[in-house]
Amino acid sequence: MRPAKSTRETWTVGRDLPSLSKALTQEKIDAYARASGDFNPIHVDPAFAAGTFFGGTIAHGMLLLAYLSEMLTEAFGGAWLSGGRLKARFKGVARPGDTLTVRGRVERMQDEGRRLFATVECVNQAGDVLVAGDAEVRLDG
Amino acid sequence: MDNELLEKGHRFPPVSIVLDEAGVSQYLEAVEDAALPALCRDEGRAWAPPMAVAALALRGLMEAMGLPPGAVHGSQEFEFRRPVAVGERLASRAWVAHRSQRSGWLALAVEMEATDEAGEAVLAGRASVLIPQ
Repeated sequence: MRPAKSTRETWTVGRDLPSLSKALTQEKIDAYARASGDFNPIHVDPAFAAGTFFGGTIAHGMLLLAYLSEMLTEAFGGAWLSGGRLKARFKGVARPGDTLTVRGRVERMQDEGRRLFATVECVNQAGDVLVAGDAEVRLDG
Repeated sequence: MDNELLEKGHRFPPVSIVLDEAGVSQYLEAVEDAALPALCRDEGRAWAPPMAVAALALRGLMEAMGLPPGAVHGSQEFEFRRPVAVGERLASRAWVAHRSQRSGWLALAVEMEATDEAGEAVLAGRASVLIPQ
């Protein structure tokens, strides 16, 4: 449940962020291509993608970051949109048929709780980490 | 792909980006984001999804780079300086910050910044891209 206003008192080190799950389909990848304008055939052309290193289509990395951003918006509200930072490494690929889960945990807080640092990740149904990252937000209150 | 455009220090032409209401709706539906609409209802504001702004800035960059099919996004950093309103007009600028070659891939790091009409930065980022050679 997203707090109306994310404050220093809302969060403590070790607390989990609200996780989200998404069932990935080729239709959703295609919809993201239309919304973002990124029609790289590795994402939207199964015949082309079959002949590549990946052996089939893969989701846009930015789609996975959009899922992380939804979690961070849910957790921190406006603090994520105003001063939020994310550093993400793409470690694996998401494919149609995957069930993706984004999750995170508060790792440390600084400046009397005004700056919060969390680890975040996106994993598939096998537990493979597809995106690993570090997020930072500045909190009010 | 024009290799001269991908030398370290090369600055790409600015790209104008704007996320209108229809574009935001299309994006939110595609990524199934329920959190941002709830936040906007709570605050009585119409914010553009931060990753949509970032995606548009990246799209302009990727088009300017002329990346070949098979290019892979390796890592990504973003800092969202302030919320961006739906319909707000931004300019995105990007430059090649690093270039190297390894194991048959060209590795590039490109830094970018999106500014509002007053010239204030609303988004900063750094993308690493691997291009098959």
